[in-house]
Order: sequence, then structure tokens, then C-alpha cells
Amino acid sequence: MIEVGKDVVVVGGGPSGLAAAVRLAELGYSAAVVESGDELGGILIQCIHDGFGTKLFGKALSGPEFASSFIERLGELGVEAWTRTHVVRVRLEGGSWVLTAVSPRGVLRFKSRAVVYATGCRERTPFEIRVGGTRPAGVYTAGLVQRLVNLYGVLPGRRVLIVGGGDVGMIVARHLHLEGVEELLVVFPEPWFAGLPRNVQQCILDFGIPFRPRTIVKEIVGKERVEGAVLVRVDEKWQPIKGTEEFYPCDAVVFSVGLVPNASQLEELGAEIDPRTRGPVVNEYFETSLRGVFAVGNLLTPFDYVDDAVETAFIAAEGVSKHLSGEARRDKPIPLRPGPNVRLLVPHRVEWASGRDVTLFLRPSVERENPRISVRSSGGELYHTRRRYARPSLMERVELPRGLVESSPEGVVVDVE
Amino acid sequence: MLSDVVCVRCPRSCLIRVAVEEGSVKSVEGYGCRLGFEYAVEEVTNPKRTVCSTVRVVGGRYPRLPVRTSEPVPKSKIREVVEALRGVTVKAPVRRGEVIVRNVAGTGADVVAEMDVEPEAA
Repeated sequence: MIEVGKDVVVVGGGPSGLAAAVRLAELGYSAAVVESGDELGGILIQCIHDGFGTKLFGKALSGPEFASSFIERLGELGVEAWTRTHVVRVRLEGGSWVLTAVSPRGVLRFKSRAVVYATGCRERTPFEIRVGGTRPAGVYTAGLVQRLVNLYGVLPGRRVLIVGGGDVGMIVARHLHLEGVEELLVVFPEPWFAGLPRNVQQCILDFGIPFRPRTIVKEIVGKERVEGAVLVRVDEKWQPIKGTEEFYPCDAVVFSVGLVPNASQLEELGAEIDPRTRGPVVNEYFETSLRGVFAVGNLLTPFDYVDDAVETAFIAAEGVSKHLSGEARRDKPIPLRPGPNVRLLVPHRVEWASGRDVTLFLRPSVERENPRISVRSSGGELYHTRRRYARPSLMERVELPRGLVESSPEGVVVDVE
Repeated sequence: MLSDVVCVRCPRSCLIRVAVEEGSVKSVEGYGCRLGFEYAVEEVTNPKRTVCSTVRVVGGRYPRLPVRTSEPVPKSKIREVVEALRGVTVKAPVRRGEVIVRNVAGTGADVVAEMDVEPEAA
């Protein structure tokens, strides 16, 4: 067994994990990155389209380019990165976190005083949206198709049905169109694409890719191989409308039906989980309910910008520093709660006695023009900031002055009005 | 003439209104940053896109190398750029930013590698 002792172990070598490790090393801590995949960079390696890094670098980089800048920095700082290394068990032993991992070099035991989880998201599967019919070859998730097309040059089929109008689905539709898929159709139950307007423009409308709103897949047809799918129109409540079933012939069906935080290991460890995000409950430095265990990036909730995911990692690195130097916490945490027009909000509470302003990320549940994002306590409004528009597809970032939160020890409510 | 443009430069997707009179841009409203301003002006005068695709690479971990145009190319040239990459094969090692195809499809833009590819032991 190989023993590795560090101040901090970062689980996950995607952009957020890399950013956390880079910042921790810059702050003078010894860190190791543990990555279960073959290489560092996470999902960005297969995201060959551009648009990453506009906030952080003022440039529209591709995914691999964005990842490379952090991978190179990690190398310059001499941070150890363990790829093909999978954490199988985590225990608290005598005040230290002990992570047991398996790797091609054997079993490893990492010992550290803090852990940063950056395990990202997984894709929801067709099973989770109850698609009927058979289970032939040719049914994929969108992320898998992105990987096949962009890294292996393999197309999933000649006539492809894409299920879901989110960003990943639209981006994959464009790749498939450009790389030579003969016929494409995108279907989704909403009245319009759920993803970002920029992707509707540059992935769908730019190329005239056909799409059908208010349509879902009722069942998949085919014995060995996908032969088609039965489409059905749905009403406002996403209930199938009888008599509108239609057979659509295709040889592949690609599901792009949402992302779920990979929080199962944290959950097993006993970390509190937010039922809205399905990720861990965290304080203002993105520390989970387990002391010294932090959670960053898409493990909290899927972000629109990798830049924002990376920012949570930078903030968590400061939190690790506070934890390791034993800084004071409040006797009672101050809860941050989502209002009726907010679908989800991170972080969930303010727990440290002092520190930086509180960076909030929230996803509205409504669409509004010229909205206010307001922060209220029982005594009335504490703070507001204006936006030109708010929509569910767009995550909002708000920097809340710490003093305002501290003046409301009973908690605050964040809403879109 | 007023044109509404959805900015594609980053996820914020700003809705930008551009006023054009007699072929010249009179006003631009609603942009969130410099990139958006430039995009909106270009979108109504000469719409362009950065094209991202892949070429074949031999001797690396994966059989494809992600590549992109070094700058946005006219929208009407997207298909030609992608066609020009078919049949292109490079050999590892490749360095990020390395030019793979110069002046692709006569656009003046180069196609460059998006990442390093190290040679893998066979």
C-alpha cells in the first residue's frame, strides 16, 4: 500500500478540482489531485466548442484550451496528480481524513486534514424519464455521443433523434450535423428550448436543424438495433395527448435530459444533501456539513459557466485555509433560503465568524424582464440588485455584503421579483 | 433598420439591438461586454462563427484531435471549413495552438489544435 500525506486531497481532476488544487498550492498548501479517468480536464476534454473562459480570461476558449491552462499551472506548481485512481472509501481517523483509492499502481492511502470534492455531475438516463419500448443498441446519452464524436470520430447513427432541448442536446445536435449525420430531429416537452438562447441561435437556427416542441418519446422501437421511436405530443402539463402518436424512423436515439450532481460518496459519508440541487448543503466557503470536507463546481449544481464553477473552487480553497488554520466559526449558522421564484440556491448558510462577502448562485424558476434579485430578512429588504432579465436557463450570481447577512442571524430569503 | 441579435459569445446570451442606417451601424444597445459589442456589429454586417471540429491524429491516446479556426469565419463558409478537414491526418506529438490547416477554405483563418497530444506507447 502506498501512503500519501497531504494538507488537502482534491477528489476529481476536472476544471473545478484543478482550480481548487492550483489555488491551494498557490496559498502554500500541499495538495494531491485524485482523478478516476485517464487524464485531467474532466468533461472539458470533450467540449471542443468555444465559449469557455469569457469571465475569467475575457476570451472565448474551447474546453480543452480552458482545461490546459489549469493543467499547465498545476504542473508548474508541482502538484501531484493521480489519474486512473478511484477513491473507494473515506474515513475520519484521529482528526484526519483517510481516503483509500485503487489505481494501476496498487492500493493507495491518502491522509489529509481537508478534502475537496469536485466530482461533477452525471447524466440522467432514459430510465429516469420512463421511456417505454425495447432496449436495442443505438440508445445513448448526449455526453457519451459528444465523447464518441469528438474524441473517437464515431457517429452514433445516420438518422438521429435527440431528446431534450437543453444545452448539451443542442451542442451535440450541431456536432452531429457538421460531422455528417444525414437527418436529425430534436424533440422536447417544453414550449421552447430549455437551454441558453445563444445555443438555440448558434447550434439549431444557424443550421436549420428541425425540432419539435411539446413532443416526447413514448417508446423506442427495434429489436437488435434502434429502428425508430414513437413520438407523442404533450400538453402544458407534459401529459401525452391521445391520438397524436407518430412513428419516427431513426437508427439512434440520444438523450439529453439533465445532469445530476455526483454526490453519492458524500451522501454515504453522511453529508447533508439539498433535495433541490441533489448536491451537498454547503456554507459560504462551500464546505459541506462535514467539517473540513468541501464541495465545488458542478457537484453543487450544474453551472452555466465553467468560470463560475471554478470560482466556487477558488472560494473553497480560501475556506480550506480557514479550516486548516482553525479560524473561528459562528455559534449558530445563518440560513440562506430560496424564495418562491427561486428554484435553487447555493450556498445554503453562513457559518464562519468572519471573511469574504458571500457569493450566491441562484437559478430562477420564472421568466421575468427587468427583475430585482432581493435579499430579505424578517425586518424587510436588506439588499437588491437589478437584472435586464431572469430566466430558468440562466444562473444568476450575486455578491452579498457579509455585514448584511451577519445583521440577520435568523436568516435571509433570496428571491427574484 | 433595427436588428435584434442574440449574442453567442458566452452563456449570458445578451439580447442586443443594433440600429443600421444606410449600411452603417448607428447604435448598439443591450450588450454586456466588449465581446458582445463586437459580435453584434459583426452579426448585422458580416456574420461569423468560430468553427470547432476534429481531425484524425495518429499515435495519440484518442483517434481525433479537436481543432478550431483561429478566428471566426463567415457563416456561409462553415460547411466548407468542415469539409476541408476531412482527410486531414496529423501525427502525435501535437502542441496546442499548432497550425493544422493554413488559410482554411480561403477564409484567411487558420485551423489550430485545441490541445497537446503526447505520443502514447503502442
